Amino acid sequence: MKNWPKALSTWLDDRFGLSAITQFLKEKPVPQHKHSIWLYTGSAILLFFVIQVVTGFMLILYYKPTLDAANASVARIMTEVPLGWIIRSVHSWSSTFMIAFVFIHLISIWLTKSYRKPREITWMSGVFLLACSLVFGFTGYLLPWDDLSLSATKVGTDIPRSIPVVGAWVTTLLRGGGDVTGDTLTRFFGIHVCILPIFIFLLLAIHVYLIQKKGMSIPLDAETRNEDVPTIPFWPNFVYREMVVWLVLVGILFSMAIVFPPSLDKQADLMAAAPEGVKPEWYFLFLFQTLKIFPAKILFVNGDTVAVLLMLMAGLFIFFLPVIDNKPTEWKGKIITALGYVLVVYVLIFSVWSPL
Amino acid sequence: MKLKHSLFTRRQFLNGLFGGWTTALLATFIYPVVKFIFPPYREPDEVILLFSDFEGMAPGSVKSFPWGSKPGILKKNDDGTYLAFVGVCTHLDCNVAYLPEQKKFFCACHDGWYDEYGTNTGGPPPHPLRRLVVEIAAPDLIIKREDVE
Repeated sequence: MKNWPKALSTWLDDRFGLSAITQFLKEKPVPQHKHSIWLYTGSAILLFFVIQVVTGFMLILYYKPTLDAANASVARIMTEVPLGWIIRSVHSWSSTFMIAFVFIHLISIWLTKSYRKPREITWMSGVFLLACSLVFGFTGYLLPWDDLSLSATKVGTDIPRSIPVVGAWVTTLLRGGGDVTGDTLTRFFGIHVCILPIFIFLLLAIHVYLIQKKGMSIPLDAETRNEDVPTIPFWPNFVYREMVVWLVLVGILFSMAIVFPPSLDKQADLMAAAPEGVKPEWYFLFLFQTLKIFPAKILFVNGDTVAVLLMLMAGLFIFFLPVIDNKPTEWKGKIITALGYVLVVYVLIFSVWSPL
Repeated sequence: MKLKHSLFTRRQFLNGLFGGWTTALLATFIYPVVKFIFPPYREPDEVILLFSDFEGMAPGSVKSFPWGSKPGILKKNDDGTYLAFVGVCTHLDCNVAYLPEQKKFFCACHDGWYDEYGTNTGGPPPHPLRRLVVEIAAPDLIIKREDVE
């Protein structure tokens, strides 16, 4: 029985049939071209997601999602729990990195038009994943229950109120009542640790399955000229390259987490005036700034209603982008690519402008 | 009576019946779920405070009191009368602060400004601060919603 590992794996394979998957991954071609670098953004997101899951499991051992205990329990994690501050810091920084890479991933696919037929649903599931990530960030921001997070949540949950007809309903649903209270905290905690994880795992499964099913896209110009694009095998060649990227990213993540741990202000007071410098997490700053520049009234219509409806339409446009961009090589496709650049410039300018 | 031509087949009819029952059955399960996730919310009709807590306020100053889960703000005018507001910005619901030296209410979230009577004067707020009715019935100070008699 000296070759027992092989015997065991054959025995397991007879039952699970997993060799089909390993065989598939060995044969799966990863195209090598000038845009190949963007292929690494997807696995970077996955890396940070796994870190979020692991550090999240750790934080939940000490966090208490109630009005009286939340702030103190985070303070305890930061000061008493062995290495607690690093775990919270990594969780906070990893969310930042994950969302940053989600944005980069989205825009790289927009600009290279990898969403084109037959990958429309891959893109759409990706837009849902983006939404999930943002809701994760938004609900997580409240959990430390300090002054800033309370005010940011009041604003964030009040924004849907400007949507005609269903708005007030959405706000009540999010808050668990008319105001942000301890019920909101508990509700956000439930969404953050229970409801969203189920959704994001389902969506990830669909997203990753479709990527395997349809394979990696090749650049538009190569496809139209029917060129052969050189490929490397997914396993092990591509995965080893990804591992190098992961190593670098983990190094940067831990360095940031150790040098710049997130702060914790004093416990939120529902009756106190909003503190100066209320701002959401950086990835909402461009939306925050957009709301800020809209006047109170635009031709008898509430300015915020106009702003929120525009944002919703932009969201729908992004979701249906593969369907709208059905002639990628023609002028319409070129305009949509240009819009992608406009979006990048808009997000950058408004994000930098906001804290000024 | 047997019709010569039926509008739908027996299969379609039974499918419709079955689908309708299933939908109705599901609705009876979904309704309580939806009711459950929307908690009841009632704003107070009035709050009764001790007048002695507010009697000594300097003219032009404010003091806050709890109005349900929102902050209420009681302001003493220069002529000794009182005004009460719901201390929540009409833009996006942040709690406002009163700046006595400028005689203005200020919302730090999006730079919203109101004058000392709660009228929106600058920034994004679309409406004035909500007024509440102040009644002094010593030893009580009663603060009511405007629509409550």
